[in-house]
Amino acid sequence: MARKTGILVLASVLLASIASICDSAAIFNPISDAHRSAASELFSLSDGSFGSLEETYEALRTFVVLGIEKEPVIRTSVCASVAETLSSPSSALKDLFQALRVNGILKCEINDKAFAEIAFRLKDSVNAANLLLDFYHSIGGLMLIKDQTSEVDVHLGDADRIFRSIKALSQSDGRWRYSSNNPESSTYAAGIALETVAGLISLASSEIDHSLVATIKNDIMKLFDGVERYDDGACYFDEKFVDAHGHQDPLSASSSVVRGITAFATATEESLNLPGDKIMGLAKFFLGVEIPGSAKDLYHQIDALACLGNSRVSVPLILSLPATVLSVSRKDQLKVRVNTVLGSSAPPLSVKLMQIFSSGSKDASVIDQELKFDPDHAVHVLETLPKNIDVGKYIFSFEISLQDPEHKKRYITGGRTKVPIYITGLIEVNNAEIAVLDSDIGSIEMQKKLDLSGENDVALLANHLQKLRLSFQLTTPSGKAFKPHQQAFLKLRHESGVEHIFVVGDSGKKFEIILDFLGLVEKFFYLSGKYDIQLTVGDFVMENSFLRSLGHVELDLPDAPEKAARPPPQLVDSYSRYGPKAEIIHIFRSPEKRPPRELSLAFLGFVLLPFIGFFAGLLYLRVNLKNLPRSTVPATFAFLFHLGIASVLLLYALFWFKLDLFTTLKALGILGIFLMFVGHRTLSHLASVSAKLKSA
Amino acid sequence: MAGRKFTAISLLMLNLLSLLPLLTISFSHDQPTDRRILVLLDDLALKSSHSIFFTSLQSRGFDLDFKLADDPSIAVKRYGQYLYDGLILFSPSTDRFGGSLDLEGVLDFVDSGHDLILAADVSASDLIRSVAAECGVDFDEDPSAMVIDHIGYAVSQIEGDHTLIAADDFVQSDIILGNAKIEAPVLFKGTGHSLNPDNSLVLKVLSASSSAYSANPASKLSNPPSLTGSAISLVSVVQARNNARIIISGSLDLFGNRLFRSGVQKAGSSYKYEKSGNEQFVTELSKWVFHERGHLKAVNLKHNKVGGTDEPSMYRINDDLEFSVEIYEWTGASWVPYVANDVQVQFYMMSPYVLKTLSTDLKVSFFVDTCKNLYFYLHRFLVSLFIHSCSRDSITLLLRYQMFMEFSSSKLSIRGLDTLVSHFQSRFQCDPSDTMNMKDL
Repeated sequence: MARKTGILVLASVLLASIASICDSAAIFNPISDAHRSAASELFSLSDGSFGSLEETYEALRTFVVLGIEKEPVIRTSVCASVAETLSSPSSALKDLFQALRVNGILKCEINDKAFAEIAFRLKDSVNAANLLLDFYHSIGGLMLIKDQTSEVDVHLGDADRIFRSIKALSQSDGRWRYSSNNPESSTYAAGIALETVAGLISLASSEIDHSLVATIKNDIMKLFDGVERYDDGACYFDEKFVDAHGHQDPLSASSSVVRGITAFATATEESLNLPGDKIMGLAKFFLGVEIPGSAKDLYHQIDALACLGNSRVSVPLILSLPATVLSVSRKDQLKVRVNTVLGSSAPPLSVKLMQIFSSGSKDASVIDQELKFDPDHAVHVLETLPKNIDVGKYIFSFEISLQDPEHKKRYITGGRTKVPIYITGLIEVNNAEIAVLDSDIGSIEMQKKLDLSGENDVALLANHLQKLRLSFQLTTPSGKAFKPHQQAFLKLRHESGVEHIFVVGDSGKKFEIILDFLGLVEKFFYLSGKYDIQLTVGDFVMENSFLRSLGHVELDLPDAPEKAARPPPQLVDSYSRYGPKAEIIHIFRSPEKRPPRELSLAFLGFVLLPFIGFFAGLLYLRVNLKNLPRSTVPATFAFLFHLGIASVLLLYALFWFKLDLFTTLKALGILGIFLMFVGHRTLSHLASVSAKLKSA
Repeated sequence: MAGRKFTAISLLMLNLLSLLPLLTISFSHDQPTDRRILVLLDDLALKSSHSIFFTSLQSRGFDLDFKLADDPSIAVKRYGQYLYDGLILFSPSTDRFGGSLDLEGVLDFVDSGHDLILAADVSASDLIRSVAAECGVDFDEDPSAMVIDHIGYAVSQIEGDHTLIAADDFVQSDIILGNAKIEAPVLFKGTGHSLNPDNSLVLKVLSASSSAYSANPASKLSNPPSLTGSAISLVSVVQARNNARIIISGSLDLFGNRLFRSGVQKAGSSYKYEKSGNEQFVTELSKWVFHERGHLKAVNLKHNKVGGTDEPSMYRINDDLEFSVEIYEWTGASWVPYVANDVQVQFYMMSPYVLKTLSTDLKVSFFVDTCKNLYFYLHRFLVSLFIHSCSRDSITLLLRYQMFMEFSSSKLSIRGLDTLVSHFQSRFQCDPSDTMNMKDL
């Protein structure tokens, strides 16, 4: 379910884009050299091999179809591995089958005896098989042996019974089951089953019951009834079965079915009468994949296209155009190529240009003109474009008619092919002028001619009561007025970066835009000043699309009222946003002006002078130090007391130089307690000494 | 019974053991490159059509898990742990994801620091548009609009509507686009977007030329298009503040094999490049988004007084301070010293009052002039533009080695990041080894 929605979603995206580009048509290109180089890239040799035998087969098969010579490089090593697989009695059925497939391409030297042994094993397993893959591998193996040697008998006796047991796995909608136990049906399995049945028919010793073959044909028709279809005509078989490896994609499922029906048609040698448009759609589907990204997908694509390219069913012919953008000025010719899906040349045929639809209108001009075949380049050329074709977008409708009536049965041409064509040319620009008009009278204030093929630098002045008019004419190469489908923009850009874009309208003959500034002041956010004028004219059919700076207009607009809208914020230039910032050198408080050091020291000396005077005074007064205690213990306390006082002074000095208040107070507290203790002892000693003196 | 229990336990242990290597190779701060990436596709055919891109990722060691966008088994989170380091959304038309993933889920994924590549396309679904809008990118409202350039288109024999653009207006950043110059223009076909001016985290990587505009190519224009000129961004990147990186492209084909292989000739020039610049552009961009390049870490942040070696708990006014940091850049395989002359440090109080550029050995000294709380902000700027997030993603160091991101008042459009920013302090605290990741552009 998820898978299907996924595909539908992709399909819708694909279609939306296709539809938008080309309304109803699409071009599919046949296999080209790009596929060949992709194949060489995708199937790359690692250690001289492609990996398993299955991968080797897929690589070799792709190379054979694309015509790439790679065999000799790997031949020896691969043949050794093939011989080993084929001779080993324990090889699995699948490996035998893959080895035989590889041998089918490489033609290694395997003797008939080995083939006979394998054929015997395979026959046994056919009779014992009940899984679809077992049937496929053993019958496929026998088919491969039949192709590789004529000496070994590979015919199956009881073909009808085997046929019935394979048929028992089919479902009513044309799909098949892998085993009778598994109710889920698969499209991929249907392809495998058809291949197996085809093998069985060619291996059967007696002819198979016609009614059985008819039921298979019926199954194929049912399978084709359930085909999914894109809008561009591509058809594919969807795969709903989810296997152990995850998903089966529509590419492998469609590829398997194509292999199956081709094998079946070859084996029965009957016409299946499959609808030609669906075969064509399948071819388109495989080509629409372009270049797949995986080796497996490339194999499925190339192998399926190879089956379609030389199948007995019918061969689709692909009409492609090397170029769909044609320039009138370069006198490009319309060339059409018809190839088979693999890019090889088609049988003799003629291509007719039937109709030309002009884009946007339903009318078609009927041409019915045959293109001239150029055998050197194998292209059909329309030498001159029809007279009434001017530049523009068209849809050309082609039809292929085969010359040999026998071919009409073999090839499918897919009816009419519609191709979108762009005819481009140089558009002439003239009569360009820019003018400032007075609003009320409409008189021309200022007018300048412009040369839009070169640079212009006009300088205009206008106020809000005036108008700006720009006009020019566009002419196609055939002299008609050209109307760009797309781009005719006038851009006014204010100094602050605010831009205003106007679409220049066309009045049939010329392009003209009149900007009435009175009505635009609000839109211009009342921003006066210099506005750069830029004109862009472009279209997909105009080869000389241009973007010209015309100069500037100095606008004088009234002041903005209070409630006027502010211009939207402009995107900050990321280069400035993420560049380094300017360095900041910041000083919190500028230091005060200080006198020279000598002066400060001199003043310090003056400050200290009274201190010296103080000591001198003390000496003059005869300081008495005799009262200092003499005995040891009181002397120690007195000494400690003085030391404590000195420490407090030192602490103050430290506080001044270094410490903070908290540390200082903490230290001061401790020192204070110490001082109180020693001070108390000293004082009490002094008191007791004086008391003794008094009593004595 | 006992035997069965034993088997169960040994099975459990075996399971845990098998998880071990998975845990060790996942994203870590020592190995910042992403490892496990969930790829959501509209169709599995994209696996084949975009195989060159995917193969290049796988060959660089990424483990890609492909799922259809509506696969019911999608889960990015289990038991509170994210199962992936990156998400690639190549599903432009998906209306809703399968499984437990939804818009909120994608945003939470990014909010938790994971990386995202989002490719939209013409007629992108509302879901994809909303994801982009949350990242600060607004796609053209007209779903059928494409970027058209009648002057800067890629010359083609078969495509005549000038929607295949040869764009060569790249961002000037070696970190995002690598050292090698992208010579050939990049082919782009898809829808354009504009950047939200309120979002300072989003950056144009590939811009349209001044003659471009965004409109429906099939219809005639009567009104001026909403997006014109070089304001149109074709590919943009976001680096969120949590180091999540995002690429938003308006084209899915940009990543596809077809445009990778295609040659390119820009209209008006006669030179035809053999190969478009797409492969180089996309590869370099993916290296950036998955942190193979431009990812820095800063370790050994040190500050001390001049002459000292210890980190003081406090500086006094008039101290001379020395600051140094080691920055390493992740090369995808190892950490190499990062050499630049544009690393700046801010001494920050209420606003930066010292801003100095570090010398190339990442040292600087300056003068402390206040005793208030001080923060170091380590800025990384690039001389040439880009280091965008760094101006925003600056890393701050409180004096006690606590780091957090600078909070900026500019509005973030990634929803949920606002709440992240309010918790930034706890989320960006430094681990004990004093290292931090400055996942830088």
